[in-house]
Amino acid sequence: MNRTPLRPLASVISARSKGENPDRIEARERAKRNQAMMTRQRKRAENRLMIMGVAFFFAFGAIGARMGMLAATEPAEPNAIASTSQILNQRADIVDRNGTVLATNLTTQSLYAQPPLMINPAKAAKDLMKIFPDLDEKRLTRDFTSGKRKFLWVKRKISPEQRQAVHDLGEPGLLFGPREMRLYPNGNLAAHILGGAGFGKEGVQAAEIVGVAGIEKYHDKLLRDPAMNGAPLELSIDLTAQATTRRVLNGGMKIMGAKGASAVLMEVNTGEIVSMVSLPDFDPNDRPNPLVEGDPSDSPLFNRAAQGLYELGSTFKLFAAATHLEKGLATPDTLINTESPMRVGKFKIRDFHNYGKTLSLTDVMVKSSNVGTARMALEAGAGAQQQMLSDLGFFEPVDVELGSATQTKPILPKRWSDISTMTISYGHGIAATPLHLATAYATITNGGYRVKPTLIKQRGIAKDRPQVISEKTSAQLRYMLRQVVAKGTASLGEVEGYEVAGKTGTADKPKPSGGYYEDRVIATFATVFPASNPKYVLILSLDEPEVFVHGEKRRTAGWTAVPVAAELISRVAPVLDLRPAVAAIDQITYTSAGN
Amino acid sequence: MSYLERNLKSTPRGLGKVLYFHWPLAILIATISGVGFLMLYSVAGGNILAWAQPQMYRFVVGFVMMFIIAMIPIVFWQRMAIFAYLFAIALLLVVEFFGDVGGGAQRWIDLGFIRLQPSELMKIALVMVLASYYDWLDESQVSKPQWLLLPLALIVIPTALVLKQPDLGTAMLLVAGGGVVIFAAGVSLWYFAALLASLVGLVAAVFYTRGTEFELLNDYQYRRIETFLDPSISPYADGYHITQSKISLGSGGYAGRGFMEGTQSRGNFLPEKHTDFIFATLGEEFGFLGGITLLGMYMLIIAFCMISAMRNKNRFASLLTIGIAATFFFYFSVNMLMVMGFAPVVGVPLPLVSYGGSAMMVLLGAFGLIQSAHIHRPR
Repeated sequence: MNRTPLRPLASVISARSKGENPDRIEARERAKRNQAMMTRQRKRAENRLMIMGVAFFFAFGAIGARMGMLAATEPAEPNAIASTSQILNQRADIVDRNGTVLATNLTTQSLYAQPPLMINPAKAAKDLMKIFPDLDEKRLTRDFTSGKRKFLWVKRKISPEQRQAVHDLGEPGLLFGPREMRLYPNGNLAAHILGGAGFGKEGVQAAEIVGVAGIEKYHDKLLRDPAMNGAPLELSIDLTAQATTRRVLNGGMKIMGAKGASAVLMEVNTGEIVSMVSLPDFDPNDRPNPLVEGDPSDSPLFNRAAQGLYELGSTFKLFAAATHLEKGLATPDTLINTESPMRVGKFKIRDFHNYGKTLSLTDVMVKSSNVGTARMALEAGAGAQQQMLSDLGFFEPVDVELGSATQTKPILPKRWSDISTMTISYGHGIAATPLHLATAYATITNGGYRVKPTLIKQRGIAKDRPQVISEKTSAQLRYMLRQVVAKGTASLGEVEGYEVAGKTGTADKPKPSGGYYEDRVIATFATVFPASNPKYVLILSLDEPEVFVHGEKRRTAGWTAVPVAAELISRVAPVLDLRPAVAAIDQITYTSAGN
Repeated sequence: MSYLERNLKSTPRGLGKVLYFHWPLAILIATISGVGFLMLYSVAGGNILAWAQPQMYRFVVGFVMMFIIAMIPIVFWQRMAIFAYLFAIALLLVVEFFGDVGGGAQRWIDLGFIRLQPSELMKIALVMVLASYYDWLDESQVSKPQWLLLPLALIVIPTALVLKQPDLGTAMLLVAGGGVVIFAAGVSLWYFAALLASLVGLVAAVFYTRGTEFELLNDYQYRRIETFLDPSISPYADGYHITQSKISLGSGGYAGRGFMEGTQSRGNFLPEKHTDFIFATLGEEFGFLGGITLLGMYMLIIAFCMISAMRNKNRFASLLTIGIAATFFFYFSVNMLMVMGFAPVVGVPLPLVSYGGSAMMVLLGAFGLIQSAHIHRPR
């Protein structure tokens, strides 16, 4: 670069001759040079900004042009007419196990307008207002008369009477198109199972129906498959049982002051879900929007039975007993040490009541002793416990035809310490869904065969079911469960003739901030009936129940979930063709294994 | 220290600063947010509680925050730049290692009143730290390779962290935003040309070798890239969004169907109708005119920022303003192009309009910085 010297000789000499300080010349020259550099840099910065400005401008032009192009495309509806042939509107019906319709399609008419074809647009708008008073007359008149609109929807679904009335107006610019919509004739009844559907592509001649939740979404492809050829999708649900379950559960929830409730009724051998209810629920014909804030589990869309992860409390004790019996560590009569409190390190485990030094294994279940169960679990070891829980399906999401269920993974302890082993044995420190529990109870009580829960009607029992526990152990456990109802914590659950067997569980709800609430519980009753030859498993849970009985506040499952379950069984069993066997109660003993 | 920085005496002081605010910019921001409230009200089907109201609360808090930030001298923010950057890096590491892995795919930090996405914060912090770096660096040195290493590292580190989340959209915005600051700082154009050439070369090499025995990628990786470039290949996922949003823009026509008349708000066409795809609803209800007006307002914001940057003799303030304006520009242009099917679907919200607290807060905070740069500019 060509630089001017800081001290040009000529200037210095002339300055000296004038008696000035030559250093000032240097300062002046330096300032000049700095000034020049700054100008250069400024110039450069401005250039860069200019380049960016141009780039921004071009981007603006491109986006604007694209916007204009899109806006200039013919309105979407005529496009959709062209593609109407691609819209499949033969969506298969969904029926229950007896063929009763749960979801079907209803052909209605849609009403649209093509203002250019109109004879008297202003009058047409006025006349339409008489038929559909909910329309906006001003807007309608403007749309019809402005001359800008070539097409607009007036109403998406209209009734035959309304269609006739519009037809009688004789206005050629008002046109109709057939439109199928999804209809759920039973309203709320099986809301969480069915889910719901909405419109996909929309055209004048048809609109595409797309499943948005539940079985409609899970089997969306199948339901749309033309190969179904008009055949409905048969669910395992029994609509009558479903209705009964919902009714009793709703009443029970209110009486017990609970804010939510769920029930799962499952066939023990096939894993078919006969009814599944989660309250509060919704109408799939008019699905509510998801909650934007707050706890999503408070939304009616939330399926407590399949999505709700709860610590299920003492219902888990059965699995500890199963492990012990299966490993030959005990018989139902073996005495278990129940000295309370039990100290392990810093922790103390105690029982509701002190049951003395020992109880038989059966009585540990009947009285629901935490201490006894924890000691058993420690004796059998964490490995055996994990094996059992994993065999029963507690380590994976439930594989059932609901997206919400297959995405719900149980919460397990990060580190499986001795403390975890003990608390998990009585159902704390592990959280699973009621559907998990139903599957596990069905597996335990049906002779020990692992069931795969399903919402689709099955033809007979699956052949190659893995065996988790022996038939003998299964029979012994059923006997214990029967005793829990006959003389234990679930005595309010007795329903004459149905040999109800089951286990209660009351778990404190965890606080979001850590720790547990003192006064909020999930009360669960896991039950199977009839005990001697089990047919159904019922898991009923109430969220935050609280009742006054004998002048005392009660929250435990024995006082809340159990009586509701008893009422439910007494009503649902006859519907399911189960006859009461009055004399059967004393016939079952654990020696009658193998029947 | 920059050459004119100490000459702050003539800048306004105390409450007098309010008079020297860039008021047109502030009003424009409020107007665009107002459009956002209207749209959120509309997509919720005429329900104000769902999205519009929480968004309004956040806007008010953010707007006040903008004013507070603006009142603090820009020198302070310049000193804070490196700390902001380190803080954002720390937050990114926190979500990387302690974030809620089991929950949603996106990673947030819950501060109680707002759930902050550290990558949002990073966008601004990166611009701040780069601007302060180039303010510190002598301008004759900017194009020397050894002085480029640090800024590149400053960009690469957060980008890698964000890519790991994985959030491709934000990663691209980070690179673009950082790149603009480096560009505006006057780094030789040859670097940019070389970068562009090598990118083109790499892409060409990757695709040219496809099918030959010298393939650079596995076949499924090619397919993934193809789906990314052309969403209609996977019609059940992203392509569905695009088709739907194009239909709504088309049916909006020139003047739109009118407020609350969009079918988007009635049917559940777009799962992201209140966030990333809100522009589709706007296009349907207000048509081309509405869309181009919004675009015009965005461009006006950019123009205000560019003019303010050009007049600002404080190098840090100028670079910061440009960087933030560019980040804002990438935000809305990527979003609009995505909705119109010109860009792949990456999760970038429409700034100030889409529902979401994190982006709103960070953007308003960033505009606070621009305001501060404007108020405290050397005169």
